[in-house]
Amino acid sequence: MTLQVLRRSLADQRTGLVLLLVLLVVVFGSLIPTFFDDRFVVFPLLRDVATLTVVGLAQLAVLSIGHLNIAVGRMAAFGAMFMGLAYEQWHLPLYAGLVIGVAAGAAIGALTGLIITSSGVNSFVVTLAMDFALLGFVSLVYSELTTSAAFTTKPAGMQELRTFSLADVCVGPVCGTSAIPQLAIFAVLAMLAVGYLYSRARTGREMLMVGSNAVAAELSGIPVDRRIVGAHALSGGLAALAGFMLAVTSGSFTATIGSEFMLPSFLGPVLGGTLLTGGAVSIIGTFLGTSLTQVIRQGLTMLGASVQSLSISLGIILLAALSLDRVRQVISERKAVRR
Amino acid sequence: MRPFAKRTRLCAVAVGLLAVTVGCTTRGSDAGQSAAGPDKKDVSSVKVAFVPGGPHPYFQPWKAAADQVKADFKVGGTVFDETSQWDQAKQNSALNSLASQGYNAMGIFGVSPTDINSTFTDLKAKGITVASLGSCPAGDKDEADFCLSTDVGEAAYKAAKTAIEAMNGTGKLVHLTGNNVDANTQRRIAGVQKAVDETGGKVSILTTIPDIDKDLQTAQKAVADLLSAQGNQIQGIVTTAYNPAVAAAAGVKSAGLPIKVVAIDDDATILAGIKDGSVAATIAQNPTGQAYVGGWALAQLATGACTMATPGTTVDSGSFVITKTNVDTYDTERKAKTTQLTEQFKSSVLKCS
Repeated sequence: MTLQVLRRSLADQRTGLVLLLVLLVVVFGSLIPTFFDDRFVVFPLLRDVATLTVVGLAQLAVLSIGHLNIAVGRMAAFGAMFMGLAYEQWHLPLYAGLVIGVAAGAAIGALTGLIITSSGVNSFVVTLAMDFALLGFVSLVYSELTTSAAFTTKPAGMQELRTFSLADVCVGPVCGTSAIPQLAIFAVLAMLAVGYLYSRARTGREMLMVGSNAVAAELSGIPVDRRIVGAHALSGGLAALAGFMLAVTSGSFTATIGSEFMLPSFLGPVLGGTLLTGGAVSIIGTFLGTSLTQVIRQGLTMLGASVQSLSISLGIILLAALSLDRVRQVISERKAVRR
Repeated sequence: MRPFAKRTRLCAVAVGLLAVTVGCTTRGSDAGQSAAGPDKKDVSSVKVAFVPGGPHPYFQPWKAAADQVKADFKVGGTVFDETSQWDQAKQNSALNSLASQGYNAMGIFGVSPTDINSTFTDLKAKGITVASLGSCPAGDKDEADFCLSTDVGEAAYKAAKTAIEAMNGTGKLVHLTGNNVDANTQRRIAGVQKAVDETGGKVSILTTIPDIDKDLQTAQKAVADLLSAQGNQIQGIVTTAYNPAVAAAAGVKSAGLPIKVVAIDDDATILAGIKDGSVAATIAQNPTGQAYVGGWALAQLATGACTMATPGTTVDSGSFVITKTNVDTYDTERKAKTTQLTEQFKSSVLKCS
């Protein structure tokens, strides 16, 4: 029984990721004495992991139905733009602006889903077109409404959200760790909500069925079009949340928010076991995949890798991680056949 | 969800809880670990990092200047780190990594002028001496100890004035520049506009083309399109970004049009263009002076030997008009400016005991 459990655990892609992650942390930790410095390394690293995990979840939402969202970064910029407008022009408090921005992101996502379902055009093409349209629109709004191409008004609480950690959360005399940023709470809440959707809620299950086989789902009475629109709306809303987290981390709401989101949005989910073809998602895997890439980047940067060798090494290690996973899968499948 | 997801989830939650509880502190245990006090330190305890926004030819002189700072001022170490890849989040990560390696003084070219003040505030709160080099934050406030940079608006104004002069004070001018959603680009656009406004309508801006400094190919395409569509109407081109400058110089030369081009920076291609007459002038900046003088001032501040007379002061590192007449001698002028900058820092920018 124990052996069976162990074998099954090893066959899980996420187990491989956890082992690789632990190995890398041990290797980098022994090579770099300051790798566990909570102020300069762990806190900023976890803040980035939190933001990119939400970006990964945004992509995961559309991957679940077998679609892609090329405009994930620009949807983040679109949502963040509304948050900036809410703070600078409408003088709203922090969380009211966040709600407006996430709603705007969800709306643009839903519109994208509607275009896909009504036109029947591939999601890649539609989101690519949406990316271009939003690029122009967001830049236009910033250049028309601001002089420095950014909304720089900081509502009360934004500064604290950027710098506060769990050490600022105390129960009596005992406080949390200074290594975990408070911003990570947003990522945890997003993971719990998305996790609940796909593992417990009927809507999420239906989205996965649409991703597995849209025709079969349609014949089973699932409202396929509505699920497609819903998945894209979820993707847009999560992208906007990630835009908010990046703006809080950086300090202002700019048009360039999200411009670096596209690659990490795929890396996290795909490394974590989410299928590009739809039908299977992994929320924990997305977090692990994102953590893996960020730990590699952090470790290599601290080892003094140049910008070129950083990109090459990152590419090779990720390729190796994916290949090793495949090798492990094949070996476990062969063993299973022999038995 | 896959089989065994529940077990993996449980493991992840357990590991997470363990991490949180292991790191728990008791309130007040961090007290007294604030930023370094005003005690004077030896200069060898100062390690200076020079961090540009990303790889760009403009910053290459910073490398040699960083070595020079180490040799001349006997600081503990210097490093030139260009891994920011023009992304503010990546730059913040690079800065934190450097801080963890003991770099306690930093000269930074912020990727995002509207965000960099937050980064400066964070670093200063952790006891690091910070200078804004090559670009100042957007707005009126600078959270760094000082900003030593080309006044980009002034440099663009000088470039446009030079172009207008080369056009004999009349005609249509085109402005080629970089990222439109960047506060510095807006300053450049305003600088060019100011010079054009001073002509009282004799010179007008035909078009301003932004977002073409991403790479040389993008700039070359934009210049080729511009010259083929409107080449005959243009009397002058002023460029305030590196790639458009190189592309405009080569494009106008190969098209054989009588357009006066004023470039930016002193790249070998542009200097060759000035010598053969295809480029009317260029505006050189002073990156070496920024890193050398900035590195020295950072070391003085980090040791506690000096303090800022006015924190957040902006100092212009200089911009120089290069034409055929001074193409071989402008570097002397630039070195003189660097010497003058050092004197300026000693006499008025810093307050030394």
